[in-house]
Amino acid sequence: MARLWRYVMRYRLRYLGGVACLLGATSLQMAVPWLLKQCIDAVARDAAPRALLGYLGLIVVIALAQGVVRTFSRFIIFNAGRDIEYDLRNDLFRHLETLPLAFYQQRHTGDLMSRLVNDVTAVRMLLGPGLLNFINTPVAYLYGLAIMLSFDVRLTLAALAVYPVAFLVVKRTSRLLMERALRVQEGLGELSSRVQENLSGIHVVKSYAGEEHEIQTFARLNQRFQELNLRLARVRGFVFPVMGIVSSTGSLVVLVYGGQEVMAGRLSVGDLAMFIAYLYQLAWPTMALGWMLSILQRGRAAMQRLNELLAVEPAIASPPGATAPERVAGEVALRGVSFRYPGGGDGAPVLDDVDLNVPAGRTIAIVGRTGSGKSSLVQLLPRLFDVGAGAVLLDGRDIRTLPLDWLRRQVGLVPQDPFLFSRTIRENVALALDGDGDGRVEWAVGMAALARDLEGFPRGLDTVVGERGVTLSGGQKQRVALARALAAAPRVLVLDDALASVDAETERTILDQLRGFFRERTTILVAHRLTTVKEADLICVLDEGRIVELGDHESLLARGGVYADLFRQQALEVELEAI
Amino acid sequence: MATDIHGEAEVGKAYDARLIRRLWTYVRPYQRVFWLALLLSPVNQFFDLVRPYLVKIGIDRYIAHGDRSGLVRLGCLYVGAIVGDFLSAYGQQYLTMVVAQRSLADLRVAAFARVQRFPMRFFDRNPVGRVVSRLTTDVDVLQEMFAAGAMTILLDVLKLAGIVAFMLSLNWRLALTSLALLPLMILGIDYFRRMARKTYRMIRERIGRINGYLQEAISGMSAIALAGREARAFVEFDRLNSDHRDANHLSNKLEAALFSFVEAVSTVSIAFMLWEGGRLHRTDLVELGTVVAFIQYIQQFFVPIRDFSAKYAVMQSSMTAAERIFGLLDLETEPTPARARVPARVRGEIEFEHVWYSYKEAGARPAAGAALGAAAPPWVLRDVSFRIAAGEHVAIVGATGAGKTTVIKLLDRLYDVQRGRILVDGIDVREWDPAALRRRIAVVLQDVFLFSGPVEANITLGRTDIPRAAVEAAAVHVNADGFIRRLGGYEAPVRERGSNLSGGQRQLLAFARALAHDPAVLVLDEATSSVDPETEWLIQDALVKLLEGRTALVIAHRLSTIENADRILVLHKGELREQGTHRELLERGGIYARLYRMQYAAERPAPARAAAQP
Repeated sequence: MARLWRYVMRYRLRYLGGVACLLGATSLQMAVPWLLKQCIDAVARDAAPRALLGYLGLIVVIALAQGVVRTFSRFIIFNAGRDIEYDLRNDLFRHLETLPLAFYQQRHTGDLMSRLVNDVTAVRMLLGPGLLNFINTPVAYLYGLAIMLSFDVRLTLAALAVYPVAFLVVKRTSRLLMERALRVQEGLGELSSRVQENLSGIHVVKSYAGEEHEIQTFARLNQRFQELNLRLARVRGFVFPVMGIVSSTGSLVVLVYGGQEVMAGRLSVGDLAMFIAYLYQLAWPTMALGWMLSILQRGRAAMQRLNELLAVEPAIASPPGATAPERVAGEVALRGVSFRYPGGGDGAPVLDDVDLNVPAGRTIAIVGRTGSGKSSLVQLLPRLFDVGAGAVLLDGRDIRTLPLDWLRRQVGLVPQDPFLFSRTIRENVALALDGDGDGRVEWAVGMAALARDLEGFPRGLDTVVGERGVTLSGGQKQRVALARALAAAPRVLVLDDALASVDAETERTILDQLRGFFRERTTILVAHRLTTVKEADLICVLDEGRIVELGDHESLLARGGVYADLFRQQALEVELEAI
Repeated sequence: MATDIHGEAEVGKAYDARLIRRLWTYVRPYQRVFWLALLLSPVNQFFDLVRPYLVKIGIDRYIAHGDRSGLVRLGCLYVGAIVGDFLSAYGQQYLTMVVAQRSLADLRVAAFARVQRFPMRFFDRNPVGRVVSRLTTDVDVLQEMFAAGAMTILLDVLKLAGIVAFMLSLNWRLALTSLALLPLMILGIDYFRRMARKTYRMIRERIGRINGYLQEAISGMSAIALAGREARAFVEFDRLNSDHRDANHLSNKLEAALFSFVEAVSTVSIAFMLWEGGRLHRTDLVELGTVVAFIQYIQQFFVPIRDFSAKYAVMQSSMTAAERIFGLLDLETEPTPARARVPARVRGEIEFEHVWYSYKEAGARPAAGAALGAAAPPWVLRDVSFRIAAGEHVAIVGATGAGKTTVIKLLDRLYDVQRGRILVDGIDVREWDPAALRRRIAVVLQDVFLFSGPVEANITLGRTDIPRAAVEAAAVHVNADGFIRRLGGYEAPVRERGSNLSGGQRQLLAFARALAHDPAVLVLDEATSSVDPETEWLIQDALVKLLEGRTALVIAHRLSTIENADRILVLHKGELREQGTHRELLERGGIYARLYRMQYAAERPAPARAAAQP
C-alpha cells in the first residue's frame, strides 16, 4: 500500500480540493431537510408568504450552490482516480519494457493483460468512488445525527436502528457479490479456453466426427457457467431492494412512532418530514460504505498483484554508468560461452563452451541441424538472453558493460519468426527509426525485394498489416522484418534463418543486392540453404551446442564431415526442384 | 460463399427491431418467466409509489386527528408495502436474470454448434481469438442489457407515468407546480445524452485501443527491444493512455454535472411545490400530508430520468454485439448432401479421379499481393489419379509442398476438390454423410492434437460406444498402455495441447485413438520429429499392428514404412509422377531415387535432445 500512497500524494492538492468541495457539498445538502421542516411548519401554521419565501429562497440558493460544489467534488476526486490509473498503467508499461524475453516466455499474455486492465481498474475504483464515499459517509452521518438527535434522541435511534443492519448486509452481500463475480469470470475464462481449444483442434474434431460430442461438452460447461451466473444474480438482485427497505423502514418508524410524538405535541409534522428526508439522504451513504469495504479489499488485492509485477527485476539492463564507445568496428567474439534457457531445467546446455571470432566486416554463416543451438547463439548478441558462462565481446568489450540501447542499435537481429505490428508496412519497417526515416524505408524495402509485392497492395507502403501480419505471406513477413533491420543500418547484421520462407530465387536477388551492404559491416547468417552459406568468409557448423567444424566452403567440403553431408542433401533437393 | 467475420463494427442504433425480434426467438422458450418478470414491474412500482401516499394518509387522517390505533393500522399496511416492494423488486430482477441466462446460454450453444459445422476454410481464414470473443464477450455484453436494466427503459417510462398519476390524483395544481421544471430537466438531460453518447463511445474505443496495443506490445516485446523502440513505444502508449484518461475526465465532468443538476432541479422543484403548497394550504385546497408526500414523489421522479443515458449506452453496445453474433450465425456451414449415403459396411477402397485442388477458391478475390490472379489459381494438386484397393498399404512420398497433406485432407473431406472426384467404396465423398465417412477414416496427423482432459477422452473423443475395455485394449496394442499407466491411468489428465507428454507419447496416444475407432481406412502423416531409440521402436512396432487389416495411406518419413508399403506414390509439385514398390522405384532412378537418397538413406540417429528453442 506504500506505493499506492505515493500515487495519492502526487495528487494531494487535488484530493484536498476535492475533499474540501465534498465537505462543502455535503454540508449544504444536509441543511436542506432542516429547511424543509421550517417550510412545512410555516405551511402548517399558514404563515405569511414572506416568511415562507425566505426559507424557499434559501433552499433554492443552497440547491444551486450545492449543485456546483458537488459537481466539482465528484469530478475532481474521480479524475484524480483516473490520473492515478493513467500513471499506474504508464509505470507498468514502462516496467514491462525493461523485462527480458525470458520473462515473457514464462508469463501468459492474458495474465499480464488482466493486470494492466482489471487490476488497475480495481485500484482506480478504490481511489475514486471508494475514497469519495469513505469521506462522504461519516460526514453525512455527522450532520444527520447531530441535527436529528437535537430534535428527538429516541426517534433518531429507533429510526436508524435498521441502518447498521443494512450496512452489515451490504458488506456481506458485496463480498459475496465479488466472490461470485470472480467465479463467473473464471467460468467465462474456462468457457473461452474450451472454445479456443476446440477451434485450434477443429481438424481433429472434424476428422473423428466429434462435433456432436464437442457441442455436448460445451453445452455442459455452458450450463455450469449459467448456474454460476444465476448464483451471482441471486445476490446481485438483493442489493437494490435492500436499499429500498432501509429508507422506507426508517420512514415507517418516523410515521408511527414520530406520529405519536406529534399527537403528544412534542414534535411537528415538519419534524417528521425532516426526519424522513434525513433518513432518505443517509440511506445511500450507508449502503455505499458497505460496498466500499469490498472495493477496498479488491483494490488491495489488485495492488498486491501489481506490486508483484513491478518488483520483477529487469534481468537484462544497461550497467550503471555504462558509456558507449565513440566508434565501433564490429568485431564480434564469443569466449567460452555456455548457455541454458532460463527455467529450462538442468539438462545439457544449449550452448557449451563456444569460442568464435568474427573479424569486423566479415560474413560468417552458422549452420547445423534443428536444435543445434544456432538461434540461441545469435540471440545472445543483442542480449535477448545473457550468457550463462563466458562472454560475448563487441570490439573486445564484454557486451554486458555496454549501454543496452546502444548495443541494440549496433546489432541488428532479424529473428526467425518475425513479429509485425498491425500498422502500416512503413511503420513496421521504420520501427527502429525516428520518424519515417527520410527515404531509408524505401531503400530498405527495395533491398528486401519487397517493391514488387508492395505494388500489389492496395496502399503500397501504407498498407496496414492485418492482425499479427496475417494478410502477408510468411516470406513477405520475413522480408518486412529484414527491411526493418536494414533500415536501421546496424554495424553487425544478424539474420537468424531470416529468409527461410522466401523462395530461393528471391533470396538470391536479395543477397546479391546486399553484397555491398554486407561488405561494409559484420554479417552473421544462420541459414539452411547452403547456396547462401557458400559465399560466407567463414562457415561455422554447430552440433549439440558445440562448434564441430569451422572453415570456408571448400575446406569444409573437402573434410567430408557434417557440412559435406548437409551439402550433398541440398544438392539433391535442388536437383529435385528442377525436375 | 461468405466465410469471413468482421472485426470492428461501428457503434450503431440503440434499438433495432430486426435484432430484437431475432433475440426474441431465444427468449421465447422462457416467455412465461419473462412475462412474469415484466408483470412484477408495475406491481413493484405500485408498492414503491404507494408509500408516500400512506405517509400522507397517516399525517392527514390519523395524526391530524389523534387517531393512534388508526396510525398503527396504517403502519401495518406500510409494512406490507415494504415487504411487497422487496419481494417484487427482488423477484423481478432475479426472474429477468433467469430469462437472460437461459436464453443467452441457448444462444451460445447455438452459435457454438453452428461454428462446429463451418467448413475448414472458415477456420483457415478467421483468427481463433475473434471467434472466441463472439461466443463469450459479445454474448456477455447482451447479458448486460438484461442485467443493467436497459430493457426496463420502457418500464421506467411507466414508472414516471405512475408518479404523475399519483401526484395528479392527490392534487393537480401541486402536481403541475412540481413538474414545472420538467421541460428544463428534459432539455438538460437531452443535452447530456448527446454529449455522453460521444464520450461513452470515445471511452470504449480508446480502452479498446489500449487493450489492442498492450496485447501486441506484450507479444512483440522482443521486437520492440531489438529495434530499441522502448522510449517511442512508451510515448505511443502514453498517448493512448492519456487519450483514454482525457475521455474519462470529460465523462466524469459530464456525469458529475448531470448528477448534481438532477439533484438541484429536484430540490428547486420541491421549493416550487412548497410555495404553491403554502398558498393552497391557506385556502384549504391542500392538506399538509399531501405536501410531505409530494417531497418524496419529486425525489423519486428524477432518478429514472438520470439513469436513462447509461441505459441507452448499454442498449447501443448490445445491439452491436447482437449484430456480430447473428452475423456469425448467418455464415454458411459445410455443404451436406441432400440425400447423404451411409453405407453399412465400408471396405476401404479409395480412388482419386483427376483431382485438382487449390486452397484459393476459384473466382475468389486473390489475397493481397498474390502474384496469381483468380484466373489461374495456384494448384496444389494437378490431375492426380490413383486407386487403392481395400486392405492395401500405400505410402506417399514427396518433397515439402508436393501436396501430400492435401491428399489426406481431401480424402477426409475437410476440403472439397475443385475438379475431378474422390471415391470411397465407389461413392463420391461428397455424397457421403460427412460424419459417417470420417468415422470410417481415421486420420493421424504429424502434429498430434490433444485436448486437455482425461487420457480416455482423448482416445474416445467423446464416442460413448467405445467401452473402457476397448480403450485399454487399443492402448495396449499400440504400446501406449505403459506410459499411460505411469501417467496415472486412463483418468489421468492430459494438459492443454498435451504439454505433459513427450512427442513420442503423443504419437502413441494418437495411434490408440485411431485404433479405438476401428476405422476401415487409416490415414497417417508420420511425424518427422525425432524420438529416442526406444520410443522409436515402440512406434514402429505399433504402426505395423495399427495398419493390420486396413487400407492404409501413409505419408512416409520412416525408411521402414516405405520398405513395408505395398506401393509407393511419388508426388512432385502437385502431380503424381511415379508409383511402384520401393525396389522398382529405386531401380528407375527418377524422383523417388533422389528423394530416397535425400531423406531416407541418410536416416541416422537424430540429435538426442530436443530443441529448447522458443
